[in-house]
Amino acid sequence: MLISRKLLSEYQGTRNKTYGRIRSTIPLITLLTGFLFIFLSSNTVRAEQAVRVGVYQNSPKVSISESGRAEGIFIDIIEAIAEEEGWSLKYVRGTWSEGLDRLEKGEIDLMPDVGYSKLREETFSLNREPVLSDWFQIYTRRGSGIRSLIDLDGKHIAVLERSVQQDIFEQFHSGFDITVSIISFKNFEDAFNSVKQGDADAVISNRFYGTLNAGRYGLEDTAVIFNPNRLFFAAPKGKSAQLLKAIDKHLVQFKKNSNSVYYRSLRRWTSEEVIPVFPIWLKGVGIFLAGIILLGFLWNRSLKRQVRSRTRLLDLSNQETTYLYKELQKYAETLEKRVEERTEELSKTNSELIKARDAAEAADRTKLAFLASMSHELRTPLNSIIGFTGLLLQGMAGPLNEEQNKQLRMVKNSGQHLLSLINDVLDISKIEAGQIDVANETFDIPESVQRVVQMVRLLAESKRLLLTLNIAPDVSRITSDRRRFEQILMNLMSNAIKFTDEGKVHVDASAEKGELIIRVTDTGIGIKPEDKDKLFQPFRQLDTGLTRQHEGTGLGLSICKRLAERLGGSITVESEWGKGSVFQLTLPLFPERKP
Amino acid sequence: MKKTILIIEDNEQNLYLATFLLERNGFEVESARDGTEGIAMANQIKPDLILLDIQLPEIDGYAVARALRQNPALKETPIVAVTSYAMPGDRERTIEAGCTGYIEKPINPDTFKAEIAKYIKPAGGTKNDNSDC
Repeated sequence: MLISRKLLSEYQGTRNKTYGRIRSTIPLITLLTGFLFIFLSSNTVRAEQAVRVGVYQNSPKVSISESGRAEGIFIDIIEAIAEEEGWSLKYVRGTWSEGLDRLEKGEIDLMPDVGYSKLREETFSLNREPVLSDWFQIYTRRGSGIRSLIDLDGKHIAVLERSVQQDIFEQFHSGFDITVSIISFKNFEDAFNSVKQGDADAVISNRFYGTLNAGRYGLEDTAVIFNPNRLFFAAPKGKSAQLLKAIDKHLVQFKKNSNSVYYRSLRRWTSEEVIPVFPIWLKGVGIFLAGIILLGFLWNRSLKRQVRSRTRLLDLSNQETTYLYKELQKYAETLEKRVEERTEELSKTNSELIKARDAAEAADRTKLAFLASMSHELRTPLNSIIGFTGLLLQGMAGPLNEEQNKQLRMVKNSGQHLLSLINDVLDISKIEAGQIDVANETFDIPESVQRVVQMVRLLAESKRLLLTLNIAPDVSRITSDRRRFEQILMNLMSNAIKFTDEGKVHVDASAEKGELIIRVTDTGIGIKPEDKDKLFQPFRQLDTGLTRQHEGTGLGLSICKRLAERLGGSITVESEWGKGSVFQLTLPLFPERKP
Repeated sequence: MKKTILIIEDNEQNLYLATFLLERNGFEVESARDGTEGIAMANQIKPDLILLDIQLPEIDGYAVARALRQNPALKETPIVAVTSYAMPGDRERTIEAGCTGYIEKPINPDTFKAEIAKYIKPAGGTKNDNSDC
């Protein structure tokens, strides 16, 4: 867009000039230039600082005419500069590729028409002021059906060897995921001919060459336009700095003046070739009339040409806009598609995760339901065993001898142990599954504590331990789950008794800052510091070497800790290995009711 | 005259144990093996106390308790739920359903007599209006 507009303004600035006048002076100029060229060429041998300029076929920017002269926009410009600077020019002919090689080796001083690229900027020195703005366009045979980059998939594309087009287009086609076979040619003529003859499907060239020459090969331009670029003079890296500086200086000057050699050259080379024919018999009397007719004709032609040129530029600009718009649309569509795909992927992943979570939760519920029903199934016969054993032990079914009594007691104890195991497993499962319900009732603390103490008193007495209880006077009522509270207390006390072989177990209850604090102190084996963390983990009865002596599920403390937390409190432990432990249960007296 | 206790219990061994204990303690025991039979029997014999197992097949103990309370003749009859430790929250639900109290399984022969005594005396005595729950 920008480029087109710039070019357009170049034309606008000069639209009032007639081309005919200029056109008629062309043969003279070329003749003079030709002489000058021959003159300069012959003098370059003597000139110590002849500027060696690479030339090749890339009309109209630079080319070699049939008569062997260098010509084109770049040539016009460099010759004008040479004249003002007093340089002598020496043209070195070759292909584009040869020219680049020579420039790299320093065999020539200047190479015209070098499009900017990062690599080239690193390899050569470029002048600063761009000589021309250019872009690449694809030309095909008429009716080829090639409308966009995508249409080039699977096609043979002719390019100029080592041209920027080649690199750019290779990036392009990999970016668009199309496969093309690139055929490179030493010059544009061969490249265009290859398309004309059907060896290639399309050719990429700069718009200057394409616009001027496509018609000659029976090719038409396509809407595939890309890579606007600026063209410069290039010099060997780090050399010819003075040359480039001078070129820049003059270019800036030329560009300021719409009638400078720069614009004249542009007009000359970017318009169609017109060869006016002057009938000889019109000389004399008719010359005036013919002059007027001719002037009118030329005027008309020039206007038409202007219209045509501008139309073409507008077309180009339109094509470019359309192309860019289409490309943008394509990108937008691709992007949209990608977003959609990603969104779909994400929602798929999400629903998979949700499914997995639901499955895991369902599995948890199944496990819990299984455990609940299993423990019910296990408990029913167990209740019966315990019940009847108790009944027999009471002597209700008849008197028992001492041995029978002892053995039945063992049956009953084992039954009760099994029952507590089942209950613990069920408890811990519920706690782990977060499905434990706790009641919210207000009850009397001393009564509850006494009840538990009563239950463990026999056990303490059987081990000849002193069991003492101290309840502070201000300890009265609590809002909590009585059964869970008693379960925790029972566990702490029976643990204390279980792990104490001599001495005493003391229970102390006090209230402080809205909290009930119950401390169960024993003079038992104690806990090693490194074992403290394991203490509250499920299925961990500490390896004391005494494990077998202390039957239990290993679940008691982990259940108690979680229950205490569920009731809004905590359990902490202080212990000294070999001296005893203090377990402290802290519960809020009146917790805020949960919804 | 002996007091009559109706036991609604599907497990034969539990039923036998409870029956044995209660009879030894001077009660007349009647039994039903499921909810429907239990309701019918209660309406018919109007027992002095009903021992109701909660985990019954088909109609559970809660539904049975609600059905029993529908009968004005049984409005004052103590209904004692026999619940399992496995079901926290059951206690509250038994009371809501119309039970007077509960006994936890397993039935402990050592304490069973005392627990029953909270609700009924073997012969002649008045009902203990204990509302532990």
